[in-house]
Amino acid sequence: MSGIPNFFYRNNRILLKELTRTDFRLRYQGSVLGYLWALLRPLMLFAILYIVFAKLLKMGGDIPHYPVYLLTGTTLWSFFTECTSQGIQAMVQRGELIRKISFPKYIVVVSTTFTALINLAINLVVIVIFALLNGVMPSLSWLLVPLSIFELYCLSLGIAFLLGAINVKYRDIASIWEVVIQALFYAVPIIYPVSMVASASQLAAKVILLNPIAQVIQDVRHNLVTVETMTSWNYLGHPALAIIPILLVGVVLVVGARYFHRQSRFFAEEV
Amino acid sequence: MARRKIGSRIVTANVQEKNAIEVRGLSKSFRLPTEKAWGLKQAIFNRLRGVKGYRDQKVLTGINFNVKRGEFLGIVGRNGSGKSTLLKILSGIYYPEKGTVTVNGNLVPFIELGVGFNPELTGRQNVYLNGALLGFSNKEMDAMYEDIWKFAELEQFQDQKLKNYSSGMQVRLAFSIAIRAKGDILVLDEVLAVGDAAFQQKCNDYFASLKGNQTVILVTHSMENVRKFCDRAIMIESGKIVCEGEPEKVAKEYLKLFE
Repeated sequence: MSGIPNFFYRNNRILLKELTRTDFRLRYQGSVLGYLWALLRPLMLFAILYIVFAKLLKMGGDIPHYPVYLLTGTTLWSFFTECTSQGIQAMVQRGELIRKISFPKYIVVVSTTFTALINLAINLVVIVIFALLNGVMPSLSWLLVPLSIFELYCLSLGIAFLLGAINVKYRDIASIWEVVIQALFYAVPIIYPVSMVASASQLAAKVILLNPIAQVIQDVRHNLVTVETMTSWNYLGHPALAIIPILLVGVVLVVGARYFHRQSRFFAEEV
Repeated sequence: MARRKIGSRIVTANVQEKNAIEVRGLSKSFRLPTEKAWGLKQAIFNRLRGVKGYRDQKVLTGINFNVKRGEFLGIVGRNGSGKSTLLKILSGIYYPEKGTVTVNGNLVPFIELGVGFNPELTGRQNVYLNGALLGFSNKEMDAMYEDIWKFAELEQFQDQKLKNYSSGMQVRLAFSIAIRAKGDILVLDEVLAVGDAAFQQKCNDYFASLKGNQTVILVTHSMENVRKFCDRAIMIESGKIVCEGEPEKVAKEYLKLFE
């Protein structure tokens, strides 16, 4: 089938770009502040968590630059939830399109995750400004941050593919995922430091750090905010253990993409 | 989940081939849920009780036909006879369950006008979105942007949200974009059935311009259009081709169905 791909690849690119743009436009359609919400939402979540956990419950302990540390965690978490929730719903929301024209279905999922990526990029700028104001010294390790974000993106995409494909038939998945997200929020060290868990149980702290989301958040904190962060690399002890979160991401992405691809030809009938 | 049997749809770039489309032994059935509740709970119940939870509805059985290059083919049949399903399989929206569909060239389907139109976006934004769905880049859309609005006669509404358009206006805009699409094979479903008399005239002019220089498949209920535009027609009844050949002959057979 040589000769055809060129044409189709070009069309896929055009479609991906336009769907991403539409998605971004529609999300803040009819709101007074518009795109500003992409910035305000995570900042407000941060403000609430900061007041409750840092000021009232004094969870920050002796972590330097704790506000930046917390903001980094909440921003990455917002990205993960946005990416997965929107990605899972994407096929159903664009059902109209899927029933009427033929195109590679993954474009729909990828376009919603791109919107989340754009939001994250805007928020990262805020974090950097925040960090500099807070007295964090810029360092070469900042250059490693995109690598961690790429890992988190792969995980989110894998989950969106896998659950999104199941959600076409069983719409319960989207609701179940909302609950899972709530539970996951407490399983990931966003509001509490890992050191707090470690002082109670070293095993529990190690299990927490096997979670790819925790690994990514801690890595970014380590490379961006303070080297005094506990990461999978410096706490799990053995490189063979520390590599587990990354392997998990790989497995989720490959399984998700393959399952999605296999099911995608039925979407037009089932959605 | 049991793997389902699947036929194949092959797309080639071979535009020299005598047949633009070849359909061999095409069959298709849909799974219709037998229970009212449809979701995870029902799926688990059904599995536990050992019932299937759905029945197979045969829509197409053993369809064979060719579309020659440059031919204007009409497909007619009653509501629910399987025409639209056939069109969706040709267009690659549904997968063939049995048999093969070979498409030689680039096929552009208009199953419906204004696919992807969003009421919350402005006319301008919708034009670019709809254009992207037809495979046009931003730059290409820029080039034909003025023409699209002029043809639709809606220039003054460009920056209004689509939800403020009347349905007739939406159709005019959609049609005006659709006719820009360039493909080796055009697939059209009932697009003629909308609009006022003046708009119908524009549609007819467009179809007349296609006749002879473009491979077209047209699904329609209008025997007038079959006689006027088609080189050949096929009639589908209960998922089978029951009549094939001269437009005049097929149109007569079709009208007999309703006597």
